[in-house]
Amino acid sequence: MNMLIVDRILLLAYRNLVAAIDRIFLIWQIAFPVVYIFVAGYAYSAMIGDQGISLGSLTVSYTSFLTAGMIGFNVMNGSTVAGAIIWNDKRNGMFQQLLVMPFSKAQYIISNLITIILIGLASAAAIMIIGLPTMYEDVKITLWGIPYTVYALVIGSIFFGSFTIILSTKIKSSEGYNVISNGLFLFFAFVSTAFYPAQGLPWPLSVAFYINPLTYIVDISRAGIFSQIDMFTNIQVLVITLLAAVVFMIATKSMVRMKV
Amino acid sequence: MSKFQNEYCISVSNLKKQYSRNSSYVVNNITFNVKNGTVFGFLGPNGAGKTTTLKILTTILNPSSGSVYIFGKDLFKNQLEIKRRIGVVTQNPSYEANLTTERALDLYGMLWGIRDKKMRKGKVNEVLRTFELESIRNSKNDELSIGQRRRVQVAREFMHEMDLLFLDEPTVGLDPSARRQLLDYIKVHVKSGLTVFFTTHIMEEAEYLCNEIAIIDKGKIIAFDTPTGLKQKYGGGAKTIELTFKDTLDEFFMNLLKATINKKNSNKDSGNNRSKSYIDVNGKHTITITVNNVEEIISEILQIVSRHGLQIESIAINPPSLEEVFLSIVNDDNRNGE
Repeated sequence: MNMLIVDRILLLAYRNLVAAIDRIFLIWQIAFPVVYIFVAGYAYSAMIGDQGISLGSLTVSYTSFLTAGMIGFNVMNGSTVAGAIIWNDKRNGMFQQLLVMPFSKAQYIISNLITIILIGLASAAAIMIIGLPTMYEDVKITLWGIPYTVYALVIGSIFFGSFTIILSTKIKSSEGYNVISNGLFLFFAFVSTAFYPAQGLPWPLSVAFYINPLTYIVDISRAGIFSQIDMFTNIQVLVITLLAAVVFMIATKSMVRMKV
Repeated sequence: MSKFQNEYCISVSNLKKQYSRNSSYVVNNITFNVKNGTVFGFLGPNGAGKTTTLKILTTILNPSSGSVYIFGKDLFKNQLEIKRRIGVVTQNPSYEANLTTERALDLYGMLWGIRDKKMRKGKVNEVLRTFELESIRNSKNDELSIGQRRRVQVAREFMHEMDLLFLDEPTVGLDPSARRQLLDYIKVHVKSGLTVFFTTHIMEEAEYLCNEIAIIDKGKIIAFDTPTGLKQKYGGGAKTIELTFKDTLDEFFMNLLKATINKKNSNKDSGNNRSKSYIDVNGKHTITITVNNVEEIISEILQIVSRHGLQIESIAINPPSLEEVFLSIVNDDNRNGE
């Protein structure tokens, strides 16, 4: 990619961070998972008792399991920013304005994804630091594991960012966008391995878990955090990469076709 | 091609646009050239095709057919290169809601590639001063009035260097003083080589600013000339009589006046010379009559006034304004289309 194009994309990403994102959202982005970790984590732990959750060769506490899951879950949550940027830019006339400047729709969409990747990584790091006391006994940070976690966060941002971009280009009202995205994200969040393991589930639910892309993102990032990478993790990497590529292409097409 | 490069900033040829295969053409085979360093007025009634044309020229829309050359280069093959040299003030408001005026201008400068922070700050201060925005420097865009927001939107465009500026009804929402200030500022920039493509509904502005004017209606250009040329060509010798009365005008008088003028004109029409006449009532005391045959009609008007016992406060006979010419052209086009 030409340096000038990279420069344009980074400028737009900077603009998104400075101008297009609501600060309250950024606070919520961290506060929401932290509440889950410290409230749901300890409350469910009290209910479950001392029995741990097995992850490959390791058995971890529920709070560790949940904190690691929240890092992946957080990526999905943060990706709503991509759709919100488009909605705000359309409402405030900035979408058209940027397109009459030396920027293309492709640069605009990539800059949105970079923005949510940055938000995803920064908030994941913050959650990791805040949640460390809940999982420090189980965490196994290795040079082999970190890239898996980072990759899961990046590819997850691309998948869910592209997904919300498609929604924002197809749905005509912001109310409709909010209702549909909240409904879908509720499914993604609770029919995934973010909050509980898939082992031992009734088979229809287990199938539902594995048609949910969030499960793959959470599993990969968790495998990285606890250094439990196996063949299944690599298959999950492959599946989510292909899915993200397809959704990204659809999002780009939707944006190009979108009327200004 | 050399002619384009030397003389014309924009060259549009046989441009057509339809939104779907079965719909009618919103822009229907228009051709025009805009000279370098001039202000080109693009006027027309609502829905005439002005904004669609502007969207094509600013790369937001693709045309159905036709060619557009800007700075001598094919717009559709050199979009990015051309976009680097143009500025656009869109008809719809555009603003960064969460930022203060100062921060929004600074960010805009940055997006346009002014990397040096000091240089950007200097430019921001210059723009704030020129457009008298210093008092709202620290106000967020969300908190501004519509007029203030519009001023920021127009001012923002002067954060960067450009050779061509598209202004789509830039003075909507501005008070008269801000409006005049903007037009004068544009004039200064045009003198130093800027070309401006200007759409407006306010004919006084077009007359004040534009070197050449194209009038578009139903997707077609129906008139093209300098403001003076348009008046000469389409005013057709018409003049405006502005009568102000001391007394309040009544309906009976108005009907009598209209009937007399129409009768006079219909007699003339039979002689194969179509006459134009318009009567506008401005408040309770003033009427404006636009006619071709002022000399013949004025005595008749004065007789009716005298018979009716009305007292005239003032009377003025003027050449037609651009607004009257515009109405005449568009109305004629509508009559021809029927």
